[in-house]
Amino acid sequence: MPLDVNRIHDVPADVLAAIDYCYEQGWTDGLPVVPPVVERVHAMLAYEGRPPEAVIATHPATTLQLTVHAAAVNAVMAGCLPEYFPVIVAAFEAMDKPGFNFHGSTASTGGSAPLLIVSGGYADAIGMNADVNLFGPGNRANATIGRATRLILRNVFQMIPGISDKSTQGNPGKYSFCIAERARGNPWPLLCAEQGYPDGVSSVTVFAGGGFCNVENHGGNTPEQILGSVAGAMANDGCITLGQSVVILAPEHMRIIADAGWSRQRAQEFLFAHAKRSVAEMTRIGKYRDVEYDKQHGPEAHPLAEAGYLHRGLTPDDILITMGGGDAGGHSCFIPSWSRGRGSIMQHKPIGVCIDCA
Amino acid sequence: MQLYDPTSSGAERALSRAAALASLEGKTIGILENGKLNAVEMLHEVADLFVQRHGCVIRTVYSKSNASAPAPSDTLAKAAAEVDFLITGLGD
Repeated sequence: MPLDVNRIHDVPADVLAAIDYCYEQGWTDGLPVVPPVVERVHAMLAYEGRPPEAVIATHPATTLQLTVHAAAVNAVMAGCLPEYFPVIVAAFEAMDKPGFNFHGSTASTGGSAPLLIVSGGYADAIGMNADVNLFGPGNRANATIGRATRLILRNVFQMIPGISDKSTQGNPGKYSFCIAERARGNPWPLLCAEQGYPDGVSSVTVFAGGGFCNVENHGGNTPEQILGSVAGAMANDGCITLGQSVVILAPEHMRIIADAGWSRQRAQEFLFAHAKRSVAEMTRIGKYRDVEYDKQHGPEAHPLAEAGYLHRGLTPDDILITMGGGDAGGHSCFIPSWSRGRGSIMQHKPIGVCIDCA
Repeated sequence: MQLYDPTSSGAERALSRAAALASLEGKTIGILENGKLNAVEMLHEVADLFVQRHGCVIRTVYSKSNASAPAPSDTLAKAAAEVDFLITGLGD
């Protein structure tokens, strides 16, 4: 591939000086980056079948475009290995779907971060972590794929903190927010299968996550007790909206639910039915709005939507549930959507393959 | 050492401002509200000032279905055809 000389920065052959140069250009998330040397970018590009100038995503307001090449440059800077690149490409293809609204979720005062959930064999193939310390540090693939997502939002789409990223407080996931779905011991179909992809095809799901809430329950021994505590977190006064939810069940919690024979659908329905606040409570805290109640209780209301209550989400399908984390500990988590309604809807794409491409 | 630039090299949209109105007197105002709490009320308060001070007429309210996404192009095209100027802003 010929070099685009207008996009090349010649710097002294000193890695530390090059890292400082990247800082000076405003290309980092505050942490040092791997200088995007030409050779490493080309190695990254070898993992994508389309030409470097192919467009993956377009910012709806500024029309700034993410090309395969720009994605590869930022992936190098984040510290990715080339085999991680298909996940990043698929993630931005998913984020480019209008329903995800990556402009709004990134620019908003809400301070969300795109959560990436990688499902299927590709996660294992590239050494992703679905196990102990799931959301914590220590795994290169998880950490750098999530970081590349942020660097692309910053460098390509110019979502700059304080300028076009107006997060009031942000959240730590804005550095990196990427996990793998745990397949080992998972009693339910993996997300990639539920999403309808053929056997052997992995997927990435993107979700505009508004934070992270640990759900601790070491005393519950029934699905109702475990999921009841999850529902309580989902419906806390600070979080309850009509937005979607992600729930990652710890293996210890999942075992209790699965041993009782509960399916994913039954768990979703339980959570939807129980993650609710009364109109009186919503009014008391100043969050009640007729328009939101009417949206949930109108002609197309889900049968589990109870009169006089605001539930989290519009239907049980608004709650993504799967398993992740280490074997020990009664610690699941709930991640609220940034969107208070339908402003951002989670999306997914297959990794490394083209299905029904135009 | 040669580094690739990580910023976008994609084509950017050509932007231009509409010509300023020579006068506000008697002009037709459109309101583009974003659906957030109090948006309509706040924007009407602003529009009422133009009615009182310049004899403007409030023609219609255009509603965005998604507060955080750009207004649909057909909404903007309709507004451009129907009003002389548009008032918009965040309400929350």
